[in-house]
Amino acid sequence: MTDDPTAQPQAAPLTVAIVDDHSIFRAGVRAGLPPRLLVVGEAATVDEAVDLVAATRPRVVLLDVHLPGGAGGGGAEVIARAAPGHTDTRFLALSVSDAADDVVRVIRAGARGYITKSSSEADVAEAIDRVAEGDAVFSPRLAGFVLDAFGAVSGETAQVDTELDRLSAREQEVMRLIARGYAYKEVATDLFISVKTVETHVSKVLRKLQLSNRHELTAWALQRKLL
Amino acid sequence: MPTATMSRPALRVVGGVCGGFAAHTGLPVGAVRLATAVLAVCGGAGVLLYAWLWATTPSQGPATPTSLRAVLTRPAAEAEAAPDEHARRAPVVEILLGIALLTAGGAMVASRLGADVPLAFIVPAIVVATGAALAWRQLDALRNVRAAGSSALVVRALGALVLVVLGILLFFTSSTHPNVWTVLTAATAVLLGVAVVVAPWVVRLVRDLAEERAARVRDVERAEIAAHLHDSVLQTLALIQQRAEPGSDAARLARAQERELRSWLFAEQAEPTADLGAQLRATAVEIETEYPAQVEVIAIGPARADLPEGIVAAAREAMLNAARHAGGTVRVYAETAHDRVEVTIGDRGPGFDPAAVPEGRYGVRESIVGRMQRIGGTATIAPGPGRTGTEVRLVLPLTAPDRPTEERP
Repeated sequence: MTDDPTAQPQAAPLTVAIVDDHSIFRAGVRAGLPPRLLVVGEAATVDEAVDLVAATRPRVVLLDVHLPGGAGGGGAEVIARAAPGHTDTRFLALSVSDAADDVVRVIRAGARGYITKSSSEADVAEAIDRVAEGDAVFSPRLAGFVLDAFGAVSGETAQVDTELDRLSAREQEVMRLIARGYAYKEVATDLFISVKTVETHVSKVLRKLQLSNRHELTAWALQRKLL
Repeated sequence: MPTATMSRPALRVVGGVCGGFAAHTGLPVGAVRLATAVLAVCGGAGVLLYAWLWATTPSQGPATPTSLRAVLTRPAAEAEAAPDEHARRAPVVEILLGIALLTAGGAMVASRLGADVPLAFIVPAIVVATGAALAWRQLDALRNVRAAGSSALVVRALGALVLVVLGILLFFTSSTHPNVWTVLTAATAVLLGVAVVVAPWVVRLVRDLAEERAARVRDVERAEIAAHLHDSVLQTLALIQQRAEPGSDAARLARAQERELRSWLFAEQAEPTADLGAQLRATAVEIETEYPAQVEVIAIGPARADLPEGIVAAAREAMLNAARHAGGTVRVYAETAHDRVEVTIGDRGPGFDPAAVPEGRYGVRESIVGRMQRIGGTATIAPGPGRTGTEVRLVLPLTAPDRPTEERP
């Protein structure tokens, strides 16, 4: 990603904060990150995480979904409390599972993507880069969930681009390929579009996932008292 | 088989006392029933014993402990429809009422005919007995459904109690010389009568509460264990997978363990085996234990029960090939729509050209392509994402479903 003009110059390494209540896990992630990523701090609870973000202003926060402390809201609570004051900080959710329950909550709270804890070190580093650039990180499972929740399977397609409750035909194509395990670059090759366009589509889907009032999402969120 | 503590079975004729006693002592039910009937005739001893046992022995609940899953998946604990306890009950109360009315009528007719019948005793006695029977029945029903707002039942139970009170009062007001002592005796009798009627119910209510509390404590304990497993063991397993060499034994074992533990902890709404996603996932687990590969299954769309076996078999064959020849991560994506099913199996191995299939892999084509053709679908084998690896794509058009597929909520 170093050839991307929006990337930070080499001189200023990308700052990362790791929030997870397991010290072993934090140490593991830290050891696995490449040197160009600078870990500026670690936190183990919701309150510590909020303080850490305020104090160090990292570019990316690797955020565990399940966190003790605070009001019991876990990772989503950290985003809700820490994000408003620090718009340049992006959150990448880390979850032990990639079940929709775990993931959609933090995404709707404002996370730019999520990865599972069993992701390889290279995947974690790549996801951090991507989120730092303002793009969204979708795993195949999240893409599958999105297709399901937005009714793509039953043939619902957005007619206008601004529609929040349905996916456009192109967005569905992109999501389908991601669900099948394609990397962004491969999606771009397959659809004869640029990687940047793929990223735009994914970001738009992420925005819909965060803002949509679609029944499947709001019912889900209401049931878990998120709204 | 003798049981440790006597309890009354949920399936019962009258109150389940005979059945429970027989199960407890190992005696034949018929004999117990006969003995009770004989005792009942002998001055009502059997009836008293029966009533006492009925009030003091607990009823066998539906012996299904709340599952761990129900505890973990918070909203899933929907009211488990309790089996109808009154499924096989004889209409005892109605029969008793009939007997009471017949006795009352008979006594009146007899007194008209000139026989010396102590009406002043019989009528109040019948009223008391009826009131008690009704009250017990209502209170029992009240206890069973007290979760639901049952004000009607409360009113009926109170009415029955009033009947008891009236009957007891009748004993005394019908006496010829009322004085202070009769009134005092009447008051005491009323209190005692109501106490006798209500006591068994109170005893049961207290026991129910204790049981409920114990069940709640158990559930909390379970949830704590599950939370602990989730926080520690699952995380550790994830870390092992992350740090271990991809495809190594350590990673494979950790993954298998994680999968097992997770399915035990979180298998919400036990998936029906007919579901395509569930079948593919089961196949994935099977393959992962045999080959050094990770098989990720993503299935979307409504579950359909009318899918032909062939598509799962073909998908399985493709997954096996990918795991065997490519290894690494095998991605399976299944989409069920109303008019078609599509399954994609992709790997990032060396890839292979279907046009140049060597002899040894002829069976592969037959088992995938042939299978799909036989059930009216197609299978295409092409290079995978970014022109690497292999992607097998199975498509099966579905003609009008036998029954309307349920819409996703």
